[in-house]
Amino acid sequence: MVFTIIAALLILAGLVFFFGAAVGLLRFPDFYARMHAAGKGDTLSSLLVIAGFAVYQIGGVHDLSHDWPLLLVVLKLLAIVVFIYLTSPTSTSALADAGWEDGIDPIIEPGRENHLEDDLRPPQP
Amino acid sequence: MIVPFDILILVFLVIAAVISLWVKDLLAAAMIYGIYGFLICLLWAEMGAVDVAFTEATVGAGVSTVLIVATILNTRRKSTD
Amino acid sequence: MKAKIYASLAVVITGAVLLYAVTDFPNFGDPHSPANAGVKGGAPSASIYYIENTYRDTKVPNLVTAVLADYRGYDTMFETVVILTAGMAIFAILRVLRRDEDTEEAAPVDRSIDGDHHRIIVGITCRIAVPLIQIFALYVVAHGHHSPGGGFQGGVMLGASFILIALSGSLSDALARLGESSFIRLACIGIFIYAGFGFLPLLVDRNFLDYGALAGLLMTDGEEMARSHSMLGVEIGVAMTVMAVMFAIFANLSTRGRLQGGL
Repeated sequence: MVFTIIAALLILAGLVFFFGAAVGLLRFPDFYARMHAAGKGDTLSSLLVIAGFAVYQIGGVHDLSHDWPLLLVVLKLLAIVVFIYLTSPTSTSALADAGWEDGIDPIIEPGRENHLEDDLRPPQP
Repeated sequence: MIVPFDILILVFLVIAAVISLWVKDLLAAAMIYGIYGFLICLLWAEMGAVDVAFTEATVGAGVSTVLIVATILNTRRKSTD
Repeated sequence: MKAKIYASLAVVITGAVLLYAVTDFPNFGDPHSPANAGVKGGAPSASIYYIENTYRDTKVPNLVTAVLADYRGYDTMFETVVILTAGMAIFAILRVLRRDEDTEEAAPVDRSIDGDHHRIIVGITCRIAVPLIQIFALYVVAHGHHSPGGGFQGGVMLGASFILIALSGSLSDALARLGESSFIRLACIGIFIYAGFGFLPLLVDRNFLDYGALAGLLMTDGEEMARSHSMLGVEIGVAMTVMAVMFAIFANLSTRGRLQGGL
């Protein structure tokens, strides 16, 4: 019962972050801010939701000698988390790089321009 | 098999199919086609056809999207109709 | 615009006709429908036979794989041949064999990840991910008759791992690991393995693709285990062909058949 409540709370927290990611994707002003919202919200909420699944699975274990296959499911869920943590930030970074190389300008407050800008961008043909 | 879930996925499938035909930018259409593949994969997995869902996830959503994008980048990005 | 209206009209009418036909379908998973229970007074249907006898005949729990690779092995063999034919067609249409002087000049753009901070994150992550993808793909191939998966899915994943190398670094990185002569050979060897498993039973006066005859050759106890192991061998052949053809199609499409440069 305790495990079920913890799992429900984790999944709810994950859904909150998913909702934040979706709202950010729709409402933020420019490409980089939208991508930042989608990438970060997605990564964290996947972790929370999958951790909720894992906790729910652990709650099903009553007798370890008989129920140990459930722990294998937990292991697989953790492997999924590791994969999401490897690939999701990488894809966000690759997307940002592609947008930058394509010449998409971020919206910057006047007077706070990043002077690294000219070093990073490849010369436009 | 959960019927409301089925109906939800089918509605999304129709929306994804129509949008991927309607969009002028072929790269966006290819991405929405990938979404369509994943939705079909979800539908099959949910109906119990796990082998078919696995095939759809690898071929339909994964490799064929990459092949379509590779083709678009070597031809034209805008659709004419 | 006019063509679009006519086309959508045709689509809507076809969809309506198909939806009308759906009302005649049996319910989902209905055990009394003709497809599942057979016709009244006739022989029992094929699906009943597979559900009841697959494990007894072949000792394979995943009966989808058993149907695909054993009972309907002839179909699957020619599906694999169809994939090989698709790869050959792509090769015949796209591959440019003559030396092109202009692309030779334009080709040496250094796209290695060392020293390029735009590519180093993606490159390193893909270097971590590709071996894991390949190990999982081999698991899918080798475990296909006990869990979902099989030669086709595993082969596509193996091909996708090479495509990932080509996308993250450059196509020449991927071609250094799986060159053109190797993938053409692998595609043909895969078909050869499948057809060889079918051909061997002919030598002892059994039917084509009757794997039970291989019990002596594979040193298994009983014909059931021979069928199980032969399914594994057949799936390895399918995986080789599919992997090679997927990567060949990508390599030819992304470089307009020149196999240099890349996206």
